[in-house]
Parts: sequence; C-alpha cells; structure tokens
Amino acid sequence: MSTFKVVVSNIQQITPLIKQFSFIREDGASLPPFSGGSHVVVAMNINGRLHRNPYSLMGSPQAPDTYHIAVRLQEHSRGGSAYLHHEVKVGSQLEITYPNNLFALDKRARKHLLVAGGIGITPFMSQIEDLIRTKANYELHYAYRSQDHAAFTSTLKEKCDERIRVYVESEGLSIDLKALLSKQPLGTHVYVCGPNAMVVALIETARSLGWPENHIHSEQFLAPPSGEPFKVKLAKSNIEVHVPAEMSMLEAIEAAGVDAPYSCRGGACGRCELEVIRTDGVLVHQDHYLSEADKAAGKKIMPCVSRAKCHSLEINL
Amino acid sequence: MERGYWIRSKPVYSTLVWQQQANAHIVLVEGSAGGLAAMKLFQQMHPEHPTKVLYARNPVVQQDLSIPLSKVVPDALLMFETTEESLVAFEAHLSSACMGLRIYVAGSERFIWQVAQMADKYGIDDSDIIKELVGTLARPIYCVHCKTISYEAHTNIKKCDGCGKQLFVRDHFSRRLGAYMGLMVDAEDPGQIPSIEEIYP
Repeated sequence: MSTFKVVVSNIQQITPLIKQFSFIREDGASLPPFSGGSHVVVAMNINGRLHRNPYSLMGSPQAPDTYHIAVRLQEHSRGGSAYLHHEVKVGSQLEITYPNNLFALDKRARKHLLVAGGIGITPFMSQIEDLIRTKANYELHYAYRSQDHAAFTSTLKEKCDERIRVYVESEGLSIDLKALLSKQPLGTHVYVCGPNAMVVALIETARSLGWPENHIHSEQFLAPPSGEPFKVKLAKSNIEVHVPAEMSMLEAIEAAGVDAPYSCRGGACGRCELEVIRTDGVLVHQDHYLSEADKAAGKKIMPCVSRAKCHSLEINL
Repeated sequence: MERGYWIRSKPVYSTLVWQQQANAHIVLVEGSAGGLAAMKLFQQMHPEHPTKVLYARNPVVQQDLSIPLSKVVPDALLMFETTEESLVAFEAHLSSACMGLRIYVAGSERFIWQVAQMADKYGIDDSDIIKELVGTLARPIYCVHCKTISYEAHTNIKKCDGCGKQLFVRDHFSRRLGAYMGLMVDAEDPGQIPSIEEIYP
C-alpha cells in the first residue's frame, strides 16, 4: 500500500472515550479527495512494533484541507487506540495510506437509509456531506449507549435537520429494525455500521423482509482477535514465521520483513487473501469476506483477522 | 451461429417460484401462456404476504385464462385487455410500494423487459425480478444504425421498421434498451442477403 506522512494538526475530546484527530500533509501538499465512506489505514510504531489500524475519514470529501478521524478508546485495546489517545499529540507525525472506499453510497438509490451504532457513526460523517451536496434523499438513524457516548450529535442535528433520529439506550430507546425496514419506499438502499450484533440483526431483518442483497450495505472492521500461537511457512519466500498469541498473522508476516497485500486490515475487503497449501490443524476463519463454502473448503485465508489452530500452516506467499 | 457459443449479455430466464422472504408480491403475466404461468405459481401455494396479480389478456393465443385465474386468485387479480394497460397499473403500484416487494413476470421478451425498465425507474434492478419467458420467442431488435427498436422478430434476419435495412439478429442483448442488437447484414456485400429462416417462433 502506498502511504504518505501526515502531522497531527488538532486533537479534540469528543466524548469521554472518543477523540478526534485532524491531519495535514507533512510536505504541505494538498490531501487527496475521497468519497463518502472512505477509510485510511494509520501506521503506528509502538515500542518497535508496527500497528496498522483502519479509520473512517470524516468531514467534507470534496477538497479536504484536513483529514479527520475519530477514535474510540477500546476497553481491550491491542495498543492502537490507546497509543492514539495517550501518546499522540499535536505535532506528532504519522503515516497513512491513501483513502480507500469499501462503504460507498450506491448512486442508483432513490433513498439512502443510514443506520449507525456508537462509533459506527464515523463513515456516515463523510457520506452525509456527499448526500447533502448532491441533494439526495436520506435518513440517519443513530443509536448510542448514553449521552456520554453522543459523539457528533449536535453537529449532525444541525446538518441533517429533520432527517436524523437518535436513540439513546440509557433512555430506553432502540431502533425497531423491522418497523423501520418494512416501510421504506422502493429503491431504498440501507447502510449499517456499528457493533456486530446490530449489523447482523439489520442484515437478517432486511433479508427476511425481502430486501435484495444489493440494497444492503454494511461495514464493520474487526480488530484482530488473539488466539493460540502457531507457525506459518511462507512457501515462496521459503521462511518460517512465528505468530504469537496477541499478533495477527498479517502483522507477524510483515514483522518478518515480507510484503503481504492488505487494505482494510479488518476482515472486510478481501485484499489480503492468501492461498493455503497445507496445515496440520484447522483454520479459524474470523473474517466476513469469504463465503461459507470457501471457509469450509479451507483453501483460502484472510491473515488480517484469521488464524489457525495448528502447529504449522503453509501458505503460498 | 457456432454451437457452444455464449454471449454473457443474453438473458437467462427461469420459471416463476415464490420468494419466501418478502414483504409483498406482484405478479405480471401476459397472454394465455402467462396466465398459465400464474396458475402454476398458485399451484405451489398461496403466499401469506399481500399479493397482486396483473393479467393482461392480450395476446390470447390459445385460451383466455381469466375465468380459472379468477377462481384461483379471487381477491388479488386485476385484469387488463392490453399489456400497456397492465403496465400503467404496475407503475401506479410501484409508486406507493415499499422495499421487500417481490416482482414476478411471465410473458414475451418484450413484455419482460418493459416490466424491468419500469421497475428500474423505481430503483429495482432487473436481477431482482423473477422472469419466465413464455408464449413466444420473438425478439425485440435494436437497429444499431438508426436506433429504432422493431418488435416481433421471428427470423434470423429482419427488416428494420425505422430505416428498412435488413438486420442480422444477434444474441448480444442490452438490458437498458430491453432489446437484442441488430446489424445490417449486407453492409459489406450490398444486396447479398443470406436465407431468412424462422428461428424465434
């Protein structure tokens, strides 16, 4: 992935757990434009180990003079969110990839229904800019735990006017997905980003009501889960890499100095797919890219989030 | 045409089968063969969601199925004399319909793609419409020279209704136009028209 260097130009505490970071280009050049829903991968050198986390770009995609990301401090952070929250200051230098969009608005939609849960609001922050600019028909439904978690609510209320509805869980409000999805006009596309349970519930509700697959869009980047350590043999490079419990296979391969393809690093895009040659155990698929048939066949693996329960695994890299 | 030759744009049709996951259903059928396709659909089951059947009697080739259909689908059947009238009713239905409406169509290729184009105006992709080709294999032909669409091509070569050129009827299909491409067959050897045969009865 090609990257460029940025400098942190501003940091804002949005909620007790969410900070917004603003970046400008280190070389003073203008930032690449992007489309609503795009993300960048931020590289962080934490105690000699390279972390790369994807974050949605917020703000206006047209001609951005600044990039904005919002980061929630994770309770069980693997290091990335804690590093951004505690170590990164105004003036810090970071390296980011060019924007990539895995959560684009479908321009054929006659109406866009956006459903966000918690920090899942971030990709919609730039999509809304696009929707307002193109005068598109849209509705935003935003659910969060309590007023303490109400990130960007006042900004959104101002921008979206009567098109936004918020649901505060601590006040007993939640989105009635069935009611919401059963009364949408023909030609509506639905987009969901939030916790796993919410994403799954929305997709299943939409399907059960007869929504065609190509009208349902979701984004959910997974943090690489930890597991048992194992060894990966890289057939083409002819080296063996140890994958520790708390490191993803992709990170371990990179740490060994081998260039592996990647894009979202969250099990969503499919870019990092590798061919499995053999294993003496079982593959533990954790992505939401491969089909159930592919997962069962055991010939492919997404090393950004998936692992193997084995002593050794051989892949074609 | 070579055997085993395949053009990806050429539509593949199935038979009408109820989609279990739905909010509502609308079934559009044309002519006697379309009426029979609707009868067969209701032999599978009566769906639990709100359902409408739009039956255009025309063209009646063998028998008018409006009486048996009205027995099988008593409260959900709307009858029309022409396909055009049924399409007007279809559009009125689409304008107030919600996501989850399943669309089924059985008829000629011309009718199927008229329905698809109407649904497209309301943001529904043709791949989400259940389509059954019945009655006739006649093709709508788009003249790549004068842009006229001629209907009812039963033969491998058909004279364009617009410019009068003899068009070779290809398998190359445009979903946007709802028609097969037709190219002047004697462009290189004017007057040399191969034998014309009926292959789309």
